[in-house]
Amino acid sequence: MSKLVDLITNTWTLAVLCVVLALAAGFVETGTVQMWSFVAINILLAQSINLLTGITGQISLGHAGFFAIGAYASALLMKGAGLPLPVSVVVAAAISAGAGYLLSIPAGRVREFYLAMMSLAFGLIVYELAREWRGLTGGVMGVRGVPSAQIGTLSLFGWVLDSAWYFRILLLSLIGTMIAFRNFVKSHYGRAFYAVHVSEIAAGTLGVSQAATKRAAYALSGGIAGLAGGFYAHLVGYLTPESFGLMRSVEILVMSIVGGLGSLTGQVLGAIVFTYLPQRLQAFSDYQFMAYGLILIFVFTLLPNGLAGLLKTRTRYSKFDQLGGIGKASPAVALTQRHSDKAASHGPLIRVEQVTMEFSGLRALSGVSLDLQPSCITALVGPNGSGKSTLVNVISGLYKPTSGRILFKGKDIGGQPSHRIAAAGITRTFQDPRNVPSFTVRENILMGANRLYVHGPLAAALNTPHAKAEEREMLGRVEALMATAGLTHHAEDIIGDLPYGIQRLAEVARALASDPELLLLDEPAAGLSEHEAERLVQLIRMAADHGVAVLVIDHHMDFLARLVNDVVVFEAGEVIYRGDMDGMRSNQAVIEAYLGKEEVSHA
Amino acid sequence: MLEVRDLNVAYGAVEAIRGLSLVAHPGHITALIGANGAGKSSLMRAISGITRPRAGQILLDGRDITRLEPHQRARLGLAHAMEGRRILHQHTVEENLITAWHFRKAAGSYHAARDAVYAHFPILGERSHAKAGTLSGGQQQMLILSMATLHKPRFVMLDEPSLGLAPIIVSQIFEFIKGYCGEGERVVLVSEQMASLALKVADFGYVLKHGKVVFEGDREHLCAGGLADLSGAYLGGTGAH
Amino acid sequence: MDFLIQMIASGLSVGAVYALVGLGLNLTFWTTRVLNFGQGSVLMAGAMITAVLVARGCNVFLAVALSLVVSALILWVIEFVGVRPMLRIRGSMGWVVSTLGAGIFLQGSASWLFGTQAVAFPDVLFKSSDTIELLGAYISVQYIAVFVISVVIVGLMELFLRRSTWGYGVRAVAHDRELAALMGIPVRRVVVGSFLVSGLLAGAAGVLVAQVSGTVDPNFGLHLLILSFVATVVGGMGSAVGSLVGGLTLGVIEKLVGGYVSPAAAEMVAFVLLVAVLTIRPQGLFGKADTVKV
Repeated sequence: MSKLVDLITNTWTLAVLCVVLALAAGFVETGTVQMWSFVAINILLAQSINLLTGITGQISLGHAGFFAIGAYASALLMKGAGLPLPVSVVVAAAISAGAGYLLSIPAGRVREFYLAMMSLAFGLIVYELAREWRGLTGGVMGVRGVPSAQIGTLSLFGWVLDSAWYFRILLLSLIGTMIAFRNFVKSHYGRAFYAVHVSEIAAGTLGVSQAATKRAAYALSGGIAGLAGGFYAHLVGYLTPESFGLMRSVEILVMSIVGGLGSLTGQVLGAIVFTYLPQRLQAFSDYQFMAYGLILIFVFTLLPNGLAGLLKTRTRYSKFDQLGGIGKASPAVALTQRHSDKAASHGPLIRVEQVTMEFSGLRALSGVSLDLQPSCITALVGPNGSGKSTLVNVISGLYKPTSGRILFKGKDIGGQPSHRIAAAGITRTFQDPRNVPSFTVRENILMGANRLYVHGPLAAALNTPHAKAEEREMLGRVEALMATAGLTHHAEDIIGDLPYGIQRLAEVARALASDPELLLLDEPAAGLSEHEAERLVQLIRMAADHGVAVLVIDHHMDFLARLVNDVVVFEAGEVIYRGDMDGMRSNQAVIEAYLGKEEVSHA
Repeated sequence: MLEVRDLNVAYGAVEAIRGLSLVAHPGHITALIGANGAGKSSLMRAISGITRPRAGQILLDGRDITRLEPHQRARLGLAHAMEGRRILHQHTVEENLITAWHFRKAAGSYHAARDAVYAHFPILGERSHAKAGTLSGGQQQMLILSMATLHKPRFVMLDEPSLGLAPIIVSQIFEFIKGYCGEGERVVLVSEQMASLALKVADFGYVLKHGKVVFEGDREHLCAGGLADLSGAYLGGTGAH
Repeated sequence: MDFLIQMIASGLSVGAVYALVGLGLNLTFWTTRVLNFGQGSVLMAGAMITAVLVARGCNVFLAVALSLVVSALILWVIEFVGVRPMLRIRGSMGWVVSTLGAGIFLQGSASWLFGTQAVAFPDVLFKSSDTIELLGAYISVQYIAVFVISVVIVGLMELFLRRSTWGYGVRAVAHDRELAALMGIPVRRVVVGSFLVSGLLAGAAGVLVAQVSGTVDPNFGLHLLILSFVATVVGGMGSAVGSLVGGLTLGVIEKLVGGYVSPAAAEMVAFVLLVAVLTIRPQGLFGKADTVKV
């Protein structure tokens, strides 16, 4: 089945299909061509909400608002300012993108159902504005006389566009937008959007700013919906607020969810189904509200991944297939070789200086000081609640220290946001692997390389040679990392289906994909089998050999004994021992910290 | 007695408990000792029903309760004081006790039971109208113990009751536990990271590591080897002498 | 002056209903951390059923009683079909969509059964023409009755939550579900009960708000949902008293803006307030950041 779908979605098949449709437009009934135009518009709408909700995880219950802004803007720009079709539609899209950007400012700060409410309110505000702002939108009566293909009043540079030509132009715009969009989603930008969806905190540790990402997602999503709106206006020729109310927002949501959130193909399927269904099924049209209601109630239970999931097709979030594999790239290098001259001492890579961390009266860290050198692996151990994870959280920027400094290569990074610290070369993992469950192993590891990319969004969308070369290089790194981690045969497997140990190894490989200078691992060995633990050891040793400083928190003393000879023991937020493992085992203070004071018991 | 047979507990893909069996007898305090992540809390959560095991059985006095809901097990006389000082922080001390009383059957009146609590821990009586979240750690632990034992349940499980408390409070708490256990042939299971603490009160102990029992025995047996042997379970290696 | 008093009176009246709706929203939120996006439609259903039954000759009080029962049953179904299966999905998107779907389905059903036009709502309490004089203005007795009834219901709920055994149960489940179960509280039963009561509150609120506005149409649910949510957020998700203060404040502001500026501006006020409160102080006036207490 998925082979069949792959065949259909193959670029050449689609190209042929589009040419056929474009030609046929001149020969079929006007009504049919107009339906095709509606499908194209709905595809744009579905893709736009999918970007925001499916990929970036920000639910949008008022998406018709963007659609409305684009429609009214293009209609009024053409009617009022006489702008030609290409310009009015593009400017309308830009205005709608601007609205998205503005909405992202309050919306980016709230989550879950608060966000849902806010998006609902946004849709309603736009609807109410359309109804009330008579001077601009004509109020409830709407805007009449919009130059439209249906009526034959639309012309481009003197040439009157009929429905067939309008469809051709729309199709061309759709293809162009979608190709660029697809390339963008498959690039590191798309992966960054998905990272924010799964875990905003984890995204920060990949160097991704969740605030900036959300603003971009809202703007892009609004822009594409606005583009759809512009085309809609010049298709129907007459706009009223009723076309942009709650029902429209629900329709857009249904198309996208039923199509399959996160899947680009799914959006096309959803758009086709829900453009034709009300037309073909009179019953559906009569009971449309009720039908949409029922669909929304049951869709996540019956079709968790939508039609795309049913057809077992998934969007690939890397350009591996596009590039035809990595090809004949030079032998891939997993990590940069740093500090190969161990003799020359440049001082510690990171110096924690008298750091104290307090949370509303509770002191988690108390004047902690320690240094970490490049190429050295250090273990951090201690009883439950002794502050180990807190220290890692402070270094990686999740917490701002109450007092003290953290010097990374001589600069104080204390209190910097986590995405900036990650971008500077400090990477960490979490106690539970925060992979994207629907991505493959390769895609997950590739996400780690986010901070290394140089090419910008336009280059990503257009697949410039520079972008392609960089992507090849990153994929090469990923290949090398997978080899060391023993994950090569899992490269194309969906990580959510794999055993815990594999997920953990992939997460560590992902951390290394960022080519860090300091690596912080929080309980990486928990739950790993013997064999997996061995692979983990190899990964960590490879990192150290390349000059990375590594700090490992764990409880598995046997695992740590194989890996390190430098141990820091914490208790109640303080360092109580630093030295080698044997010394630790015989250290009185350490034993007491774990087991309590031994008392002589009398029988 | 409380019996666990071949228990398997997993959270998603992570196995927390693998094929674990143990028995806790009435009139004796049984200790669960082990490092963080060894499975002590997971075990108690499976016994009280908060977590569903993948396999295995739990029996109270021979009765299989594996299929019962947590509140049903509570009503059969099983109390579980979870780790982390879980109480109703926004409720007053009195309201916490009322809530703990009213959903299970018991002999006597609420007032008698409450007065007994205040008699045992006068500080709770003095602060009965204070929000539980404002009490000190030790006072909260006293409240938790009182809530757990209000109905005089036959089976009591305490998860790290001493964590973060001053030694003098810990003594008070352990006195209470010993008293409660002996009073009515009750089964008490106490888990502690600090092995030495647990061994002060327990008559029998199980040492857990990575979800399995690696050592079991009565107090003498456990102490005989010295804590240094136990440290192997925590610190790895062969232990130091 | 009497215009001002009229506005304030109607604002207090409708605001008290917002508080009542908000209480219903809060109740299911406390026990399941789910906010029913279809609550507004349940209100509409309650009002619709009363209006239609009375129009067909049914006794007014029987009609109201029936609509309360139906509203409770609708919430029960929503819990079973839309909420319980979704709680396994991480995050809120699942239940937001399914409860919204329930609301849309109800709206569609009402349109299908009763048409899309507004239906006149009968006089349940007093007559719409009954007025009393207060401070020189003539205020509809219905406004006062609705206000009093709403405040009484909110007060009774508060009393129930603070004093009764089941109230203790709800508050315990709201605070710490696992702890509640270990204390012998039948959590599932408390959850279902909270949905049933939330349904009753929604039905009652629907009847009350329809009484004041005079008509019912299938669309008014959504509007009320957002306004009640704003009231709840302004007052704070964890507090019944907060709901009341938030609701009354919002109601009065809405009516004043509607009377002195324009009805359209009144619509905007609620939305703008929502965005503002969520941005500046998401926990509301009475709530504490990130915790929900009863």
